[in-house]
Amino acid sequence: MALVFDKVQIGDAMPPYTSAPITRTHLVRYAGASGDFNPLHHDETFAVAVGLETVIAQGMFIMGIAGQAVTSWIDHRWLRKFSVHFLSMTQPVDLNDYQNTKDRATITVSGKVVDKYEENGEKKIRCELTVRDAQGSRKLKGYFVAALP
Amino acid sequence: MADRSKLGMEFPVYSIRVEKNKIAEFVAALEQKDDTEQIHPLYRDVDAAKKAGYENIPTPPTFPTSYVFWTGGGLLGTIKAVGADLSKLLHTKEEYEYFAPVCAGDVITRKMKVVDMYERGKKEQKSRYMQVTVLETDMINQRGELVIRARTTFMERG
Repeated sequence: MALVFDKVQIGDAMPPYTSAPITRTHLVRYAGASGDFNPLHHDETFAVAVGLETVIAQGMFIMGIAGQAVTSWIDHRWLRKFSVHFLSMTQPVDLNDYQNTKDRATITVSGKVVDKYEENGEKKIRCELTVRDAQGSRKLKGYFVAALP
Repeated sequence: MADRSKLGMEFPVYSIRVEKNKIAEFVAALEQKDDTEQIHPLYRDVDAAKKAGYENIPTPPTFPTSYVFWTGGGLLGTIKAVGADLSKLLHTKEEYEYFAPVCAGDVITRKMKVVDMYERGKKEQKSRYMQVTVLETDMINQRGELVIRARTTFMERG
C-alpha cells in the first residue's frame, strides 16, 4: 500500500530497519561504489597512523543505509530533503572475534513523524531519524521531508 | 588546516553520466548484497522502474555523493583544493534537497563552492579546536534543471 498524506499521523513510526553486521568487505564495496577512497575506511595502517584502533565506516555509508530504510517506507521520488549529523564512528565487525564485535557493527534505523504541513502546494511530512548500533550508541541523527500524495 | 582565503571559492565544473551499473553497485553496497542480482528490482530492472513510474532506473537518495567523488580528483582533489589535512578530517553533516528525480542515462553537472568557513573552540586549546568548512554543490541535469542541492560540512581537528 502506498503511503498517503491523509493516513499518516504525527507520532507514527517508520518501520524499523536493521543492517547486517558491517564487515571490512562491505566498506571496500561501498568505497568502490561511491568513489570514497579515504584510506581511513580500508587501510588499517593509515587508521592507526592517525590515532584510531582500526578502520571506520564511511559516514555516508551509514547515511546510505538510513536512506534505504527511508525508501523502503516511502517512494524516494517523494523525498524533498534528507539531512543528517554524524555523531560517532562505526567500527566494522572483527571476523576473528565475531560475537564480541558484531553489535558495534550492526546499524538500526528508526524514525517518527513529527510534523505534517502544506508548503508550495505540496502535502509534506517531516520525520526524525535515529540511527544507532546494536549496543545503543548513536551514529547519526537527522530528518527527512517528503511530499506525499 | 583549511585555507580561510578559500571561502567563496568555486571549484571547476565537472559532468558525469549516471550509469545503470554504478547505481546497481551502489545499492548492492547499501543493501549489503554480494551480487547486484539480489538488490531491489527497481535499481536493476528498467521494466520494474518504468512500472513504478520512473523514466529509467532511479538513483537512491545518497547517490549524489558519487558525482563529487568520481569527478575532479575525488575526495583528495577536493581536500587539496581547500588546503585541508586528510588525516584530521571528520565529516560532520550532510544534507540533500531534492527538486527532481535523477535516473540512469542522465548527465549531471556538479557546481561546488565553499560557502562557509569558521572556527570552533580556541586555538590555544588544541584538543577542542576545530576548523569547519561547508561546501555546497548544485547538481544540474542535461536539461539545465537544478535537480539536487547538497551541503557537506566537515571539520578538521586542531
